[in-house]
Amino acid sequence: MGVTPSMFARAIFSSLLLLMMIGGSGRAEPSEAERAARWSDLRHAIFGNRVVEDAGELVAIDAPARAEDAAIVPVAIRVAERLGRDVRGLYLVIDDNPSPLAAHFVLGPLVDTREIATRVRIDDYTYLHAVAETGDGRLYAASQFIKAAGGCSAPAGKDQALALERLGKMKLTVGERPTPDAPIKVKLLVSHPNNSGLQMDQATRNYIPADFMQTLEVTYNGQSVFQLASDIAISEDPSFEFSFRPADPAVAGVITAEILDSSQRRFSQSWPIPAAAQQM
Amino acid sequence: MFVHNGVHEEASAENEDAIANIGFIVGAASVAVIDPGGSFEEGRALRAAIRSRTDLPIRYVVLTHVHPDHILGAAAFRDDHPDFIGHSKLPGALAQRGEYYLRRLEDALGVAAIGTEIPKPTKLVSDRLELDLGGRRLILRAHGPAHTDNDLTVFDEKTRTFWLADLLFVDRIPVIDGSLVGWLKELQELVQVPADRAVPGHGPPSVPWPRAAEPERQYLDSVAHDTRAAIKAGIGIADAYRHVAQSERGHWLLFDDYHQRNVTASYKELEWE
Repeated sequence: MGVTPSMFARAIFSSLLLLMMIGGSGRAEPSEAERAARWSDLRHAIFGNRVVEDAGELVAIDAPARAEDAAIVPVAIRVAERLGRDVRGLYLVIDDNPSPLAAHFVLGPLVDTREIATRVRIDDYTYLHAVAETGDGRLYAASQFIKAAGGCSAPAGKDQALALERLGKMKLTVGERPTPDAPIKVKLLVSHPNNSGLQMDQATRNYIPADFMQTLEVTYNGQSVFQLASDIAISEDPSFEFSFRPADPAVAGVITAEILDSSQRRFSQSWPIPAAAQQM
Repeated sequence: MFVHNGVHEEASAENEDAIANIGFIVGAASVAVIDPGGSFEEGRALRAAIRSRTDLPIRYVVLTHVHPDHILGAAAFRDDHPDFIGHSKLPGALAQRGEYYLRRLEDALGVAAIGTEIPKPTKLVSDRLELDLGGRRLILRAHGPAHTDNDLTVFDEKTRTFWLADLLFVDRIPVIDGSLVGWLKELQELVQVPADRAVPGHGPPSVPWPRAAEPERQYLDSVAHDTRAAIKAGIGIADAYRHVAQSERGHWLLFDDYHQRNVTASYKELEWE
């Protein structure tokens, strides 16, 4: 295998972060042309010279046009049924964030590609881009403009003692299955501060070190649902909503989530999934 | 006991961030400041008000919680060398948020923010602390996560006055920045305190106790009930506020400015239940 998707993504994350820190000061509200130029730069940094097609109806982003709390902005990526089975990866890019590539999902065979949702931090009025990558290497991009600001440097942690005590704990909620062969809808919560590294400790004048979830891997009975390479743009206490289809719905199984954070801590938790009720 | 009544606005150069109720208590031997205000300028005005009434030393500056509108005026009292008293969790909260609050104040106030610094607590309370102002005893209590995770209250025995700071909002919508469940729990104990009157962090300078807590309890209870229902019904975090405590809208000032944030915070807390 050589280079894993997460290693690849990490290299991009760090080089983009550097790019942004150099270019990020003294800004006025950018024009549409400047925003387009920015996406063009980002696109080349992430995908090189590969063609990125307009997704049209194939890919959509669902996020509020104006976010009340920029530190917790819900974002869903939707892929049309027609493209669904061919999609191998999803990228979420927040153009004007300090570290724009927020998430890279490598989709496994079991995931329902129609919708994956998470919550992100947004630092400034910005375009979001969702890019779907198919098995034959085509890239389809959708975009949405969002008004939100201050999410990356916003103070976190309403109850810090609880946050420490709960660090790494996960909670999984399983939705009801309308029919035995319907995909299983899951909401996964991870207790993690996902510190952005952009907050300053006044006593020491040092920035509070970034401490965030780097990878998340979800499997069902050992088979991949998805792997995620992520970054500081994912909100405190990361949340993921997705669906998956067990190979055999009539058999019970186990879903597992494994996390590696930037402090090299590993967390893992598993939950039983009962067999679908048999139809009479 | 003297209270300066904060205005129900957001921080601006015109109001110098004097939006919270702040004040001082004078004993026979010394003075205690309860919250030095939201900016250096407001702290200076408070200090001048104290000096127009007494020359007794200002021995204590109580910082009731981390929020900037209450404590960013602390630097105005530096030359008095008082104990700057805070909850044992206040330094941690200041480390996380102090710089951010200062920058935001500078954005809102411009030159009117000059001189404002992040306070440095010198004496911490993890449970209970008594202050003697000379024939006048103040009892400070550190509370569990509620409005924030570092709330202090002050009880003045002489006048049976309970200074709750932002554990009590009257008229202005409460802000949930600690724990909704914790706040409701603390309230059950706070209403047992045998005080004749209370000083809220926002609202009139003096209100009857415990009667004045009822609207706040009702708002928090309604947010908790409806947010749990929204989570159960699978309504997402961004839309939940539309289904939560809407009947409370007419009861509170600045409802539309803070309610949605309160619901987001509550949702994040309650989805772990």
